[in-house]
Amino acid sequence: MAARRQHWRLYALGGGLGHLTRAAALARAAVARGHAVDVLTNSPFAPGLPLESWLGPHATVHRVDARLDKAATVAAVGAWLAESTPDVLVVDTFPRGLAGELVALLPTVRAPRVLVHRDLNPVYVERFDVAGAVDAFDLLVVPGEDAPFAHHPRAVRTAPWLLLDADALLPREEARRRLGVADGDARPVVAVMGCGRPEEVAEAGATADRLCVSLEERAAVRWLVPTAHAPGRAVWPALAVMRGVDVLVGAGGYNTVQEARATGTPLVAWARPRLYDRQALRLTEAERVGDAAELEAKVLSALLLQDGPRARPAPWVNGVHAAVEAIERVAR
Amino acid sequence: MSPSFPSAEQCLETSGFLFSHPCERGASTQCTRCQKSICPLHMRMLDGAETVCVTCARAADNGDENRDPSDTSTDEDDPSYYYEDYGYYGRDAWRGSGASSSHDTNDFTEADGESVRREDDASFEEDLGGS
Repeated sequence: MAARRQHWRLYALGGGLGHLTRAAALARAAVARGHAVDVLTNSPFAPGLPLESWLGPHATVHRVDARLDKAATVAAVGAWLAESTPDVLVVDTFPRGLAGELVALLPTVRAPRVLVHRDLNPVYVERFDVAGAVDAFDLLVVPGEDAPFAHHPRAVRTAPWLLLDADALLPREEARRRLGVADGDARPVVAVMGCGRPEEVAEAGATADRLCVSLEERAAVRWLVPTAHAPGRAVWPALAVMRGVDVLVGAGGYNTVQEARATGTPLVAWARPRLYDRQALRLTEAERVGDAAELEAKVLSALLLQDGPRARPAPWVNGVHAAVEAIERVAR
Repeated sequence: MSPSFPSAEQCLETSGFLFSHPCERGASTQCTRCQKSICPLHMRMLDGAETVCVTCARAADNGDENRDPSDTSTDEDDPSYYYEDYGYYGRDAWRGSGASSSHDTNDFTEADGESVRREDDASFEEDLGGS
């Protein structure tokens, strides 16, 4: 528990689920330390997630409609920032703001500023003077991956951030039950992660269907979705059931990759095209696939390599805790 | 303004990053460029006004409309342009020290460049769902 309760505001605008997931990890750890945290998100998945109950009693979540246009989104950010003056403002990924709005708004925030600094498309970095925007922050926290200004004098590196610590994951048998695997069914589980854009969640369902056919009875294939999306299996956070997953299939987003690595879950993934994130840089050659045939072959290979329960890595270091301590030190 | 459209038709775009298949959703409008019937998920807005399909939006993003096909000069919007030089904004930018990069620039092939959408400046800070 921290010596004094601080009021944190977390700016986590950005498409998909990744920005919100990282912010939720940080918020949960900060709330556990006794802080009050407000999260701002425009994730299209946010309305369907029980964030408040999951984050804890001193967390609030401000959901901006993902369908708003740029002007309306910028207005919502301005209103949120004007609501109150926090002890610290934390901004995920975009030092200029998702719409460039923070360049004008940050000078009005009379609080220390922290940037969660991650890799960005170098074209964007160069053409939009991201270096200048980074200088407006009192602290850069680099969550486990390389980033353009990771060597900035005010940058602090941490281990990757995860939503849950190792001791919070469900045991394997319970996780398999949550994944809908009957007690007598000994088949390994292949989980296809539906995340990213809403249409990509649906595409993951098609991938799961194909794998069901190609793998026949070799594995139980599950299509995981963050929010109710028939006939996918709604599991959030997916990390909670990772001990019941034998092969994880998904894209190369930050959270999917870090969760697979932390839990020692074999990952087969493709690099989704993104505007800012470079997923191919995150994936290893062994993990990465380029087409459907390669995907099926690598999933089958990963299943064949498993002979009995696989060795799990030692409990991981969750970088959110070091991040919380670093942020506490710059907060007022 | 999107053209009016009979709702009974099916979207003519394809879905699936790895397993390409026809989109099964009902179409709600037409692409103003190629006239293809499209559903809301496969619709994009160009310059906040023009309703197009994702294929035409991608072509517009790439600048393919105005590009001379015989032009083979280096294109800095081509992801391979900067994938060969990942880390160009590396440690020297801040004169700092620390652990070396975990990335080997030789790890990546030209195909990996597909991981970054090919964009012109207009997409940055405009496409709020593109991150």
